[in-house]
Amino acid sequence: MRESRLERLGRALFGALARLLPRELRRAAGEEMRATFAARQRDAARRGAAPVLLLWAREIPGLIATAVRARAGGPSAPSARRARAAGRAAPSGRRSRGAPLMETLAQDFRFVLRSLRRSPAFTATALLVVAVGVGATIAIFSAVNAVLLRPLPFQDPERLVMLWEHNPEKDWWQVNAAPANALDWRERVDAFQDVAIYDSFSDGITFVGAGGAELLAYAMVSGNFFDVLGVRPALGEGFTWEDTWEGGRPRVVLAWDTWTTRFGGDPSVVGRTVDFGGTEAQVAGVMPDGFAFPHGDTQLWIAYGWPEAQRDQVWFRRAHWVWAVARLQPGATHEEAEAQLDNVAAQLMDEYPGTNATMGAGMTPLHDFLVGDRRTPLLALLGAVALLLLIACSNVANLLLVRAQGRGQELAVRRAMGAGSGRLARLVLLESAVLAVVGGGLGFAAGMQGVRALDGVRSLTLPGVAGLELDVRVALFAAAVVAACGLLFGLPPAWRAGRAEPAGALREGGRGGRGRGPLRATHALVVAEVALSLMLVTGAGLMVRSFLRLRSVDPGVRVEDVMTFRVVAPDTRYGSRDEVVGFFQALDARLEALPDVEAAAMARQLSPASSGWSSDFSEASWEPERAGREILHREVSPDYFEVMDVPLVAGRPFTDADVTDGDWVVIVNQAFVRQHFSDEDVLGKRIAFDAVPTDGSRWRTIVGVVGDERQEGLSAPPRPEVFAPLYQDWTRGATVALRTRGEPEAVMPGARAALAEVDPLLPPAEVRSMEDIVAEALARDRFLLVLVGVFGAAALVLAAVGIYGVIAQATRRRTREIGIRMALGAEAGDVRGMVLRQGMGLVALGLALGLGTALAGARVVRSLLFEVAPHDPVTFVAVPALLAAVALLACWLPARRATRVDPVGSLRME
Amino acid sequence: MSPSDARSHLPLTHLSYHILVALADAPRHGYGIIKEVERGSGGAMSPSTGALYLALQRMQEEGLLEETAERPPEEEDDPRRRYYRLTGLGRRVAAAESERLAAILGVAAAKRLVAEPGDA
Repeated sequence: MRESRLERLGRALFGALARLLPRELRRAAGEEMRATFAARQRDAARRGAAPVLLLWAREIPGLIATAVRARAGGPSAPSARRARAAGRAAPSGRRSRGAPLMETLAQDFRFVLRSLRRSPAFTATALLVVAVGVGATIAIFSAVNAVLLRPLPFQDPERLVMLWEHNPEKDWWQVNAAPANALDWRERVDAFQDVAIYDSFSDGITFVGAGGAELLAYAMVSGNFFDVLGVRPALGEGFTWEDTWEGGRPRVVLAWDTWTTRFGGDPSVVGRTVDFGGTEAQVAGVMPDGFAFPHGDTQLWIAYGWPEAQRDQVWFRRAHWVWAVARLQPGATHEEAEAQLDNVAAQLMDEYPGTNATMGAGMTPLHDFLVGDRRTPLLALLGAVALLLLIACSNVANLLLVRAQGRGQELAVRRAMGAGSGRLARLVLLESAVLAVVGGGLGFAAGMQGVRALDGVRSLTLPGVAGLELDVRVALFAAAVVAACGLLFGLPPAWRAGRAEPAGALREGGRGGRGRGPLRATHALVVAEVALSLMLVTGAGLMVRSFLRLRSVDPGVRVEDVMTFRVVAPDTRYGSRDEVVGFFQALDARLEALPDVEAAAMARQLSPASSGWSSDFSEASWEPERAGREILHREVSPDYFEVMDVPLVAGRPFTDADVTDGDWVVIVNQAFVRQHFSDEDVLGKRIAFDAVPTDGSRWRTIVGVVGDERQEGLSAPPRPEVFAPLYQDWTRGATVALRTRGEPEAVMPGARAALAEVDPLLPPAEVRSMEDIVAEALARDRFLLVLVGVFGAAALVLAAVGIYGVIAQATRRRTREIGIRMALGAEAGDVRGMVLRQGMGLVALGLALGLGTALAGARVVRSLLFEVAPHDPVTFVAVPALLAAVALLACWLPARRATRVDPVGSLRME
Repeated sequence: MSPSDARSHLPLTHLSYHILVALADAPRHGYGIIKEVERGSGGAMSPSTGALYLALQRMQEEGLLEETAERPPEEEDDPRRRYYRLTGLGRRVAAAESERLAAILGVAAAKRLVAEPGDA
């Protein structure tokens, strides 16, 4: 059996804590102790993770206690004991001077450990509650830390900004730049030290290694890409700015993993020429381990190698597909740079009115840009988990107070026997500190492991840029949380203990009561718990409602039984349009012939994963100033609508006859007809993809109308879209969709073979079923829902336990009073009502407080909700009702017990 | 050494007594002692690793235990492990403590708190 991560963590924890032991003991037995601990842990691990955690729960406090004891007594203690035993005085050497405090502390510590061991149910409950609260908090904080707090792993990352374009006419904001514009910014904005460019999308390049042909994910970048980020290659020189422009052989830089796994970590590969499926490229370097920008899965970088002449071509300024990252000059401010960028954008408007008439530019700190819309969900989760932690703390405080009431006599006796009030308070604080440290330690270990096990967390992190590693900030945060917890739930009972009146407590003895103070404190805690729970559960309720809405959205395509993968016909082997079209036609024919494939189709993209290209258009009969803006367009093969089950509303589908030599035709969706033609009959109308048609414009006839798809995710409404035949208006990259009989995945061996027959150097990329694609589109919402749901459920349980504990304790204290009432003729119903009224009064107060806060705070989560108002009436009625029902149950049990009080027996208790 | 010498060590802490009993029949290493203590107490006593080694060290200083070079052959040998055995004093202290406890047990049995040793 191999050592698990849990065991490694345990050994590290034990090793670290063993440093607390005095040096003599560590020297004599430190190594052996660690070996023994490892052996014990190994035995426990054979029985599962829970025994390991139980072992920790014993060993960690045991080790701390040992350290305290060893230091208090010191190695000379045995001889002191022998001396005492022999009737002589203990030597008053140097050790005894500091001893009193250490010795009292050690005594207190032993006392606390003993008393915790004596009440295992209390100890286990408190530890579990603390562990859950701290563990969940650490897990969420480590994600928040990785994404929001930790600086980007680049040199002087605060000087990096993302540049983007905007266009009010097209309703564009923060869109990709056109390369020609980005190059002009680089040359004209003085506040920029340099500007790098990279493609906003990623694709695969064929690599034939020992395992056959495979696709490596690459990013196209300008030659100064690594310099601008300030990350040097681990091997080789990397690119230079000249590599941006055509200069012989393409050059590539490998990611560390690619180098070690595909090239065996051979340093001589740098400088060598490697064949990438027909493209000869020179390896210019290897990036350090862990560097994976801009995409978490980037396996190699290719320098653009653009022809110089391209800079002056119109499309280079019209098409928007790159991101531009700028490094500010040292000392340059964000405002200066922004003003200069604005200025240059205005110059470009004048210089290139054809493409830039309404095009503006803007910038955002790179970190903020990459974080994007992850901030709100992360902070919402942090808020939710903070509520849970507060609830957990009030719960433990309640348990401690209730316990203190039970122990009132014990403490009073100690006080009467001369223990100072400070010492008593210290005992209680020490007890809560032990609970906080041990429970927090367990929670910390579980939380760090847990957050990595959560698959959905990736939908909120920045792959390749921000890993979830444990760092100093997380460790400090964890220590602070544990300390805060210990104080939060330790101070109220410690305060009570410090003020314990020996005489009063002893007199009250048999009744176990100690005035009304602790009662008031526990009542306040119940109110707080109910209020906090209401806030948290309301958040969970809103998420549930929103998710149900989102899941019931019709994507416009049938997602069941569809398998998809992506292929790109590289220009090195498919030079002309006819060759590319021929490739797709051959592939289509072979896929259709597979036994488990009902129909095969290809499209530039599939909904709802990405929207793809957009452009303006005009209709043949329109006035020159009337133009349609921002319609999506996509090339699809004839069977696309059949495979995706998109209904044909009017006209005809594409056929195999819609090729380059035939009439140029398009099919539009209903949103297009609705928005641009007010639902009139569009069949036969002719459109061109130009806002202002010219003699060179290509006119296409609308031959069909199809239903709407949600192209940009389930929460975005369908956009107007125009479809063109794939064999007429071609594209190099397309996603294949196969409607299958039976399990979608089962067709892949056949599909791979079919693809290999057409081109053995072209493996399929992004192999996913349609259901997986939709699940991925929902991944973040599902993740948030599950987390907040679990927090909410935990809050409900904690609140119920808290209410039950307090009411049960209060009822026990009133046993005598209830007995008298019943002896005087009170009915069971009266007694039940009395207990219920007391409990539900507190609950009602908590509900009112929580409802007010939740109503005020709900707006924070507005951006996370889909078609659900932050003040959704259903949620705001259902959640308080649910909480009230749970609270009623928690009060009902002690109330029922109260009615069974035997009047005579309760009086005899005196 | 006289018997009174052994008695000066009494009463022993629970853990010390358990360790002496665990080592009465054979030398053991630290983890072996823990397992033997757990077995002998029916699982009721399971010292933490830290407590065990502090006790071992103190008992060595008091001359109750010593390290031994003997290594039981059936154990797989780990160079980090050290084996402990009782000294003569340790054996006498263990015996004295056992007698003391047996005397208390006898009184308890006479008062019908427990069955007489040997009773069914």
